[in-house]
Parts: sequence; C-alpha cells; structure tokens
Amino acid sequence: MSTPASIWRQHKKLHTYLNKAGQLIVWTKIFVAPVGFEHQTPYLVGIVQLEGERLPLQIVDCEEKDLKINQKVKIVIRKIGKAKSEDVIEYGLKVKPL
Amino acid sequence: MRIKVRGTGLTKFGELWDKSLSDLAQQASLEAIADAGLEKNQIEAVFVANMIYGKLTGQDHLGALVASSLDITGGSVRVEAACASGGLAVHLAIQSLLSGTYQNVLVVGAEKMTDASPAAISSALMGAGSEAERRAGLTFPALYALMAKAHMQKFGTTRSHLASVSVKNHYHASMNKKAQFPFEVTMEKVLESPIISSPFTLFDASPITDGAGAVVLSSDFSTPGVYISGSAVATDTVDLAKRKSLTELAATKQASQQALKMAGVQISDIKVAEVHDCFTIAEILAMEDLGFCEKGMGGEFVQKGHTRLGGKIPVNTSGGLKACGHPVGATGVKQIIEVTQQLQQKAGKRQVKGANIGLTHNVGGSGATVVVHILQT
Amino acid sequence: MTGIVSYGAYIPKYRIKPSQIAQTWGKELGEIEKSLGVYEKAVASYDEDTITLSIEAANRALQAGNIDPKNIGGITIGSESHPYAVKPSSTTVAEILGMGNDYLAADLEFACKAGTAGIQLLSGVVTQNKAKYVLAIGSDVAQSRPADVLEYTASCASAAFILGKQNIIASLLDFTSFSSDTPDFWRRDTEKFPSHGGRFTGSPAYFAHVYGASESLLKKVKMEPSDFDYAIFHMPNAKFPKQVAKKLGFTSSQLTPGFVVEYIGNPYSASSMVGLAAVLDIAKKGQKIFMCSYGSGAGSDAFVFEVTQEITNYRKKTVDTVQKQIKDKTYIDYSLIAKNILTKYRI
Repeated sequence: MSTPASIWRQHKKLHTYLNKAGQLIVWTKIFVAPVGFEHQTPYLVGIVQLEGERLPLQIVDCEEKDLKINQKVKIVIRKIGKAKSEDVIEYGLKVKPL
Repeated sequence: MRIKVRGTGLTKFGELWDKSLSDLAQQASLEAIADAGLEKNQIEAVFVANMIYGKLTGQDHLGALVASSLDITGGSVRVEAACASGGLAVHLAIQSLLSGTYQNVLVVGAEKMTDASPAAISSALMGAGSEAERRAGLTFPALYALMAKAHMQKFGTTRSHLASVSVKNHYHASMNKKAQFPFEVTMEKVLESPIISSPFTLFDASPITDGAGAVVLSSDFSTPGVYISGSAVATDTVDLAKRKSLTELAATKQASQQALKMAGVQISDIKVAEVHDCFTIAEILAMEDLGFCEKGMGGEFVQKGHTRLGGKIPVNTSGGLKACGHPVGATGVKQIIEVTQQLQQKAGKRQVKGANIGLTHNVGGSGATVVVHILQT
Repeated sequence: MTGIVSYGAYIPKYRIKPSQIAQTWGKELGEIEKSLGVYEKAVASYDEDTITLSIEAANRALQAGNIDPKNIGGITIGSESHPYAVKPSSTTVAEILGMGNDYLAADLEFACKAGTAGIQLLSGVVTQNKAKYVLAIGSDVAQSRPADVLEYTASCASAAFILGKQNIIASLLDFTSFSSDTPDFWRRDTEKFPSHGGRFTGSPAYFAHVYGASESLLKKVKMEPSDFDYAIFHMPNAKFPKQVAKKLGFTSSQLTPGFVVEYIGNPYSASSMVGLAAVLDIAKKGQKIFMCSYGSGAGSDAFVFEVTQEITNYRKKTVDTVQKQIKDKTYIDYSLIAKNILTKYRI
C-alpha cells in the first residue's frame, strides 16, 4: 500500500491542514474493517466540509451518540492504519468534534 | 443502433470451490458460443471483464488467458471499471462491432473471489475508491452507508425502506436456479442482522461470489431476436466527497438519458430492468436517478411493491446483486443476460409478461462509472 | 535574556483508574489509589504516539505565541517511546508543523528527563544567536509491562516550549544538571518493556539526583526555597515529589499548582514539563518558578524561571490550559489499553 516515497509526499501536504476546522456532513460507524484497520473497530468515518474542500476522514475521540449533523470538527494529526513491523509509519488527517 | 445478443451463457453464482477463474470463464463462454450457433473460430475478439483477480492472485493478462483457453486467436483485452467492468466490456465490444472491425465478438465477465480472505477482498474492492478514502479506513459498505445516511437525512428514507429492497430481491432469487441465495428473507431478518457499517446490516450488502456470464454480440441484425439499441457510459469523481450531491448518482442520470435517447425510447417504456444493487440504498437511488420515480421517493416506490414481479416495473428479477450474487466483473454481463432472457420469454417463473424493452444499469465504485444499456426485441 | 516565549501542553482525554487495572489482573484492590496518591491516569488512543502528541503540543505553542514555524531554528523531542529506534521523531514533527528545512533536529533519550535536557541544550542555541526561536518538546506514550506495578501510573502527555529572546513570558535565569551512572530503570534495545530495580529507584536514584541538582542550583543562584512561588518536580508517583520537596524546604502550597500526577499519572518525559505548563497557566508577573526533572539512568535537570509582564498579554490567547485538559476526560476500560498493546507490539 504505502511506500516510503508516497508517505513522504503525503506528509508534505499535512501542515497546510493544521488548525483547520469544518462541519461534519454525514458519518457511519464501521464494524467490519479493511486490512490494517481491524484493531480499530468499531470506528467512525465521515465526510467533512472544510473551507473549499470536502474530505473523507476518520472521526476520533468521541462516541457516535455525541455527533450531530453539521457538527463542528477540527483537524488532528494521527497515525493512519497499522504499519507492519518494518514499515514507515504514515501520519495523516482525522477530525475530532469541537 | 442494433447489436444482436446472439448467444448467452451463465454459470451458477455462489461459493464455487471446485471451479477456478478459467473454469468459470470457459464454461460461460462455451455455452454462449453454442447458444449463438457459432464455432469458436468464428469469434473474432474476446472482451474479458474482471476487477480484482490480478490483485488477489498476481495473474494479469486475462484477455489473452481467456481467449486462448477457448482457442480464439483474434483480439483480446481485459476491461476494468470496478463493478462496472461487465457493462463497460459490453459497451466496448459494441464499439468494436460498430466500427466494422469485427462481426461477432464474445464478452465474458468472470470473477473468482472466494479463494481469498474477506479482509483481502474488502481491501482489493477498495481499489474502486480513492486513496483518501482508503486512508480514512473506508470500505464499500461504509461509502454507500454514507449515501444512505445522507438520503435518510434529506428525504426521511428509513431502514425499512432499505430492507424492502433486500426482501424483494430475495423473493425474485427464490425463482432463479443460478442465484447464490435462492431463498426468501423476512424484513426482521434483514433489520436484525449484524451491523456492518451503520445503518447497514449484513443483509443490506451484496455478498462475495464466484461466477461468470458471457454473451456473443453480433452486428448482423438481419434476423429477429433481442437487440441492444442503446449503450452509454458516464463518469463522475472517484471520491464520494467530491461529488456534487451525496443523494444522487449524476453518472446514472447522464448515462441513462443518453442510452434512452440512442434507443429512441422513454423510461416509461421500460418493462423490466436490472439495476446495480450492491447495497440496498443503491437500488433506491437507481429508481430515482433512472427516472422510474421522483427524487427522494425511491424507498417508498420499492416498499409499495412497484418493482416486484407483477408490479409496475419489475426490477432485478434475477435477484439483483444482493440475492443472485455479485461476482464483480460478471455482474454487468449477467444483467444483459437476464434482460435478454426476459425479452426472449425464457425467464420461467420470473417472466415479466409482455416484456419487450428492458434496461440494465451497472455502476463502478460509489458511482464514478455508470453504464446503461437498452435492449429491445 | 533567553526565556520561554510560548508553550503548549496536550493530555489525551481517556482515563482509567488504578483500581480498574488491578481488577483486570485479578489483584487485591485494597485502597490502591490512596496508597499511590494517583487516582487515574491518561491513556492515549490507538492512533496516537509520541509524534502525534508532540505535534499537538507544539502546534498549541506556535498558535499561542503567534510564531511562524519557519522561524524555529532547532527542535528536540525527548521521549522514551520514540516510534522508531532509528529515524528521528523530530523531523516528522517538524515537517508536519511546516518548519521547512532550515533547522537543527535531534531526538533525545534520557528516560523521563529527555525533554528538559532539550530545554537546556536548545537554550544555548538561542543565547548564542544561532536561531531566533527553538522548540523543546517532552512527549511520551509510556510503556510498562502489563500487570506490573508501573502500569498503574505510566501514562501519556506532551509539552512543548518555544524559547527565544523576544517577548519572553518567563526568563530562564539559570539551570544546572546532575548526572551519574545509576541503573535504576532501563530497557534493553530488543526488549518490549522496561525493567526496574524496585526500591533501588528511590534513595540512590530519584532522591539523590533531584536533591543533588536542586541543592546545586539553589547554591549557584544564591536563593532559598522560600524565594520561590512555585516548585515543580518530576512526578513518578504522588509520594516522591512531596518527600523531596519537603527535604529541600519547599512547601506544599508551592508544589500544588504544578502537581499534575494525581489525575493524569506519570507521562514520563512530559511529567515535569506539563507541571511547568500548569504553573505558567496561572503564574503572575515577577513570580519565580523552581523546576527539577529526573530521568532514570540517572540525572536531574534543574531550572529557575522568572515570569515577566508579557504573561498578561500572552494569557489572553491561551485556550487549552492544563487544568482544563485534566478535567476534559472520558473514562474507558482496559480494552483500549489492550488494543494499544496489540497495535504497538504488532501482535
């Protein structure tokens, strides 16, 4: 999936998203995960409207019952998936409710 | 445009441990070639539709692999557009006939999924999504669940509306020997099954399936039979988040309008349809986006029984992806075969009386590719 | 004069009580929280690590000080849970903060005092005018063997301090360090969990070094404990810092504002640094702060800070105070800890 070079390219974009906030448009709670995410279930993923852009992002540090439509959320940087023992760790964007 | 569906062949859909991909592709192909009344060496090109076999096994070059296994030495190619691979292969085969290069071609959609683990399959299927979606830990059930949530928020669609799609398709499949799940299910069963991605339960989702379907298409329209009179493809963003709307598939609207125009018919002329119900919400969206009902009314339209055999417009008499099964690359071809058999009055207990114009609707990913075909006698 | 220009702290929101941990392992509960003096500890989520915690704290420091990350000329991250044995956490953090390329980066390890060592080292870079601002971070998602007594207190947090010469909110009046080769707590490079010398971690380790560095610094600056408004010590539990404070002559009222261990546990390299952040959240102009960290292996870094008038203006921008984060919590059960173990050790 993610190689050192592709992670390196991705990491360069992250600082432009720090401190961004947005609204949560829709979300779902995933119980059956793809490879690399099994240890996280159940987890929440939603579509977030940031200024000028919509992104699919995981929603952290909350329960599904705490969320409302158009919930204000802010960007946080977290680990993405589960890197294999010898792989480079990928960091990326997620959101948490404000 | 008049492209003849000269022959069809379809394997059983299900967990077929004894059959390899080659076995399935060959079986369906030989049946279709025989049904067409042709010899193998009269097939000038083979279009193979398959999505994930290469990723799961390392085997690519499926065009040549399948064609040569049938002793066919002409043109061969593998077509991939996620779950719309089958429909797209039919569309491209039609273009090759319209160009005059070929007169008789074979389209075979085949998928062998059950050799791999569910996690590997789920990840492979996410190849139909975007990198951002994979990074967010999304799965296909989750992507369609987001659309379902948006539809529920905007139009008041309920989980019961969703479940009624599943119940109806299982009813149809109970009359289809080739279906993976040829049995009925109750609303309770659907609603109370384990949740896979809220609000979907296991029964809101199409299964993992092995199977193959093949059609021989011909540019010779001198004899009566079933003809494809409209074939259109439309494209939208791969990223669900980048779509203009979360509650409609713009590509469905565009492709269907174009195909209907080509065929010179209206949506109200369609007597039978096979649509892409990878998840229950997908069928509800299809009812709206194809124009069978108003936007937002899809749930009610299905729940009222209008799309059940005997209703206004029977949809997914094969059992759909949910109950007939969804061997990804094969589905688009199976849809052509089901409508063909309906138009040939060969659908047995599933026969829609007087079916003379039909429609197939095949979607790739969460709506990035949509292929629509119109068939008529 | 070199000093703190801005700071930030981050405490993950999940909490678990020692009694819940004891119950998980079928141990006698007794009055475990009372005897430890630690009522609950912070637990990081499965997608957090030393790097993500560092980014959070450092970003808060940058925001609070309204500092352009490209003006940071040096970054150190002190931790005993760096995600890589080889590959610096500091460059990943610097990249994600948008620091560009013109900076010195180094990862530090010295058990729980790696973060404060960074403050001492980077202050020199500023004092020598080699950089306008430098960023010293202490961050840990602490590891302990499951069912070991350390599990009751080993927690997670991060604190970041930006040092400079302009608009400082607290001057770094002086510092000193006291070190020796003392094997009280260690982890061999291929081992998953640390080991410790039991009671050996007390008198010859924690107490000898904290006392040694503190006495040395007080002598150096010619000050008495009573000259200070606040005293912060490394907090491996609730007892040690209180004992050493008393021995040195500091009072409990000087200790209380920076005494964070009771409700967050011991976040190793971030322990005394989060304590310092808690003090700066409330300190007034002119007040003096005494701080002494401790790192096993062993050593202590001691500091004297004096709060400047800039603090009043600065505080208008402070949002995530330490006390606010201590209160913003959600209780969890052992399952998150189990998931973290599976994730970290790739089981």
